[in-house]
Formats: sequence, structure tokens, C-alpha cells
Amino acid sequence: MSNLKILIADDHDLVRKGLRMLVEEHPGWSVCAEARSGREAVDQATQHTPDIVVIDVSMPDLNGLEATRLIRKACPKAEVLVITHHDSDEMAAEVLSAGARGYILKSDSDEELVHAVEALSRHKPYFTARVTEMFLANRASGATDQAESIRKRLTVREVEILQLLAEGKTAKEVAAALVIATKTSDTHRTNIMRKLDLHSIAELVRYAIRNKIVEP
Amino acid sequence: MASASHLRVLLSDDHPIVRRGVRNILESTLEYEICGEADDGDQTVKLALRLHPDVVITDISMHPMNGLQVTEELRKSLPDAKILILTMHDSVEMLRAAAAAGASGYLLKSDAEELLVAALHSLGEGDRFVSPSFDAKLVKQLFH
Repeated sequence: MSNLKILIADDHDLVRKGLRMLVEEHPGWSVCAEARSGREAVDQATQHTPDIVVIDVSMPDLNGLEATRLIRKACPKAEVLVITHHDSDEMAAEVLSAGARGYILKSDSDEELVHAVEALSRHKPYFTARVTEMFLANRASGATDQAESIRKRLTVREVEILQLLAEGKTAKEVAAALVIATKTSDTHRTNIMRKLDLHSIAELVRYAIRNKIVEP
Repeated sequence: MASASHLRVLLSDDHPIVRRGVRNILESTLEYEICGEADDGDQTVKLALRLHPDVVITDISMHPMNGLQVTEELRKSLPDAKILILTMHDSVEMLRAAAAAGASGYLLKSDAEELLVAALHSLGEGDRFVSPSFDAKLVKQLFH
């Protein structure tokens, strides 16, 4: 492997220093830029087009997950490895949903981080055994990530309409907001309710709140 | 205590990447020898009792046994070892707790790159060291 460009984004100097040291010890890897915030990470990624972005979640001025979404959009070839101290199945699901393909904990070993970067450099996903166990446990208990599940069941347009309906808009108002015919808007609403097995607008609102599509 | 120019340091933090960052700072000086690393409080105490470091640099948030408990334990069992708390906790309450536990220094992780070597130098000379963002009068009261 030669000349792998890595962007390091973390608001803690010590962590960036540690990551830089780890990267520079590895032949063929180099740090092309560092960032202390999510916004800076997006800017640096756009400017330096790294192969890999190693990014923390909790950062000021745009968190690591939102930054990941923007980086994946601006630099689709860049793979994102999230490194965090947040240890939960919800976080793992959010990391994936943001477009990162690697997720490791700051408490994981240095070797784990090297393996993760190596895997991502080959465009292979990387998750530690612990994270994989969390996913499998969720699957076994049927508690799959709701946001991911909605995205699979509804089209992007339908999610958009679900949100507007849950915010209290009528089919006519939805049509006006999206510049579509009222009849089309009605058809979308019928499809959404059928796909999600909902039978009233009240159920639809409850569903949207429960799945964090709208705030209660 | 060894001379300030050659201190043996035990490094304790549950995040390996942070320990690596600290090592990177210390290795660039050649004045300090990292004699061991630990990733929880229990291991820190065990290693300290075996290695007899001059200084223990310890994080607070660790399990089992947090950095304050480590400090209290080492004050009793290794009274000559100096304890430098290295933490992201910037509250006065935590600073008080560290002083009460018997720490000789309290350095915020955000200051480490600039001040870690100065902090170790102070401890090596038998002085105290606290991150400058804390009120100097309070520091004097707590770390007399």
C-alpha cells in the first residue's frame, strides 16, 4: 500500500497527536490534514481529498456524524472511520446511517485502529468484534434500527411527506409545499400508511415522533 | 525521587490513543522515561507498586478504580511518588477532589501539549502544578 492520505479530526490535541504518531509509524500512510471541529473536517476533506477520514463524534461546530454525511457527499471516494468513546448500539447504527464504514472505540487497542484503516483502504467495512456483537444481538431481538428500517420501506419522497403530514399539514398543503398535484400527495399518503400499516393520521403522527422524524 | 532531568513516569489512561499522544510529547524531550502504561485504576496501582515510578500521570475517568481513588491509594502505599492528574474535567469541584486525594498536580488535557513537560518539571522539583485556567488563589489554598 502506498501513499494513503489520512485526515484526522478530533477536538482533543492529545488524541490528534496520538493518531498522528500511529499513522506516521505506518509505512505508506501520511496525515494530509488535521481538524478540530466537524466544520473544519468538511473543509479540509474538500480541500485535501483524503483516502480515509478518522473522525470523532463529539466535536464543536458540527458533530462528527453530520460532518461524515457532508464528507461522504463532497468526497464519495473517502472512507470514514469513526473513533469515539460513545459505546452504544444506537451510536453504531447512527454511524452507519451517516455513511461511515468503520466504527471503533477510543478504548480499543492501537492494533484495532490499524486494522480498521487497512480495511477501509481496501474499501472494506470494519467493526470490532464488540460492535458486531451489538448488531447481532439487536437483530436477534428484532430491535433493528428504526431509522434504517424506515429508509428501506419508504422512498425519500415518502419520508419527506411523512414528516410534513406529521407536522400537521393537510394533503393539499403538502402538495403546495412540494409543488405536486393534490391527488399525487393523496396517493403518497395512502402508500405511506399502507407500507407502515397505519390507519389514521393520529397513528402516523405517533409513528413519526417515535421514530424521531419529528419532535414531539 | 530521581533528579528532575530523569524521571520515571507511569502513564495511566483508558484510551490507548491518548497514552500514545502523551508518549509522543515526552519522547521528544529525552528527559523522561515511561516505565509503564496502564489502562485502568487497578492496573495502575499494581504497576506502581511493582515499578516504583517517580511520577504517575493518571486520567480520572477510569474503571475499575478511578484516578482519584488511585491517587488516594498511592499516597498511602507509595508516598514518594508524585501524582499528576491529566484530565478533561475543568470543574473546580474536581480540582478540589484531586487536591484532597493527594495529587501534586492537575493538568487539563487541552493544556498537555504546551504544559505537560513544565508540569513534570515542577513535580520533579518538589513543587505543585495546576493548569493556569484555575484561579491562582484557590490553587494556592488547595495545593499548599
